[in-house]
Amino acid sequence: MNRSASVATVVLLALVGVSATYVLQRSSAPQIASEQRLLDSRKLLDVMPAALYDNQPLEQPLTLAEPALRHSTLSGGYRATRSGQTVAVLLRSRSEGYAGTLELLIAIDANGKLLGVKTLEQRETPGLGGYIGEWPNAWLQAFVGKSRTEPTDAGWALKKDQGQFDQIAGATITSRAAIDAIHDALRYFDEHRALLLGTGP
Amino acid sequence: MKRTVNLLMLVPLLGATPTFSAALGITLMLSAVLGVFAVCMSPLRERLTGTRALLASLILAATLTSCADIVAQRWFLPWQQTSELYIGLIALHCVVLEYHGAFRDPVAVSFKRCAMFGALMLVVGGLREIIGYGSLGRGLSEHWPGLVLFPEGLRLITLVPGAFVLLGLLLAARQAWTRRNSVIKETHRP
Repeated sequence: MNRSASVATVVLLALVGVSATYVLQRSSAPQIASEQRLLDSRKLLDVMPAALYDNQPLEQPLTLAEPALRHSTLSGGYRATRSGQTVAVLLRSRSEGYAGTLELLIAIDANGKLLGVKTLEQRETPGLGGYIGEWPNAWLQAFVGKSRTEPTDAGWALKKDQGQFDQIAGATITSRAAIDAIHDALRYFDEHRALLLGTGP
Repeated sequence: MKRTVNLLMLVPLLGATPTFSAALGITLMLSAVLGVFAVCMSPLRERLTGTRALLASLILAATLTSCADIVAQRWFLPWQQTSELYIGLIALHCVVLEYHGAFRDPVAVSFKRCAMFGALMLVVGGLREIIGYGSLGRGLSEHWPGLVLFPEGLRLITLVPGAFVLLGLLLAARQAWTRRNSVIKETHRP
């Protein structure tokens, strides 16, 4: 077979390959995007029981006033409702851990009790503080049901700091950052309750 | 030649088999892409030689792998996200196998080799899931949570170094087995 014919074969193959990939990519793009959205929302929302709400919380973002808190910053919030009634507020909180930013998703019910806490992003030491990134997480589970007033402000600390919570073994700074961020979020919820629940002025 | 191919096949064997379902996915994808690649390459191999044949195999491998990746994204997104790296590597497998002439072997021989490798992948995946997570078949179907054997597993096995250790143990077991079966009589020296 001569040279030009074989070059033509390769060029033809390249054209067919590129166009096939392009067509497939174009036709699948919307479906892939919707799958991605579904996956993302499932990943975020397993912080609270699915039976609790019937809306799409991620499509109801909240605008948060004064998001800079004592130990952390709130980077976003969502409202979960059930037949129009707000049942929970999700707050995204960023604080400084031991090795970098620690981002938590904190779910608080309408009475100000914690529904769940999930780590969205962490750069803590693998094997020590990195444990906070695992899900489900027994240590973060210990906070469920707590609220701003129960325990008291002094109780919202590690046992090492005369509080009432255990720490992650070998990761005092990470544990402290997480507790402070959760406490901050609960305090923020208490102070802005009406606005967050959408019942106030 | 054998060495390069074997080393390259070690990558999906260790990296992409944390659970049985992941191993099944990558095995199916590898066999589908390699099969289509072999079929498409056979007419091209006769027409092209040297660099142009290599170029054609490169284009073909890239096309097939991209299409397989898009299909996986469309229907199996959670699995695709964990195995993305190894899906991309399938193109390299195609080109290296083609370069070393693995597809020129008789069909029966290639088929047997692929089946053996696939079985090994599934065994490693299954064992890693049982030891590492204490379950089997998690994530295979949305309605079936998988067979839970014990609540917590050995975390090391879920990581790639753990897979390497497991493969070593499997090889040792195989060697012990073949040695026992082959009759070796010790000769006593005076």
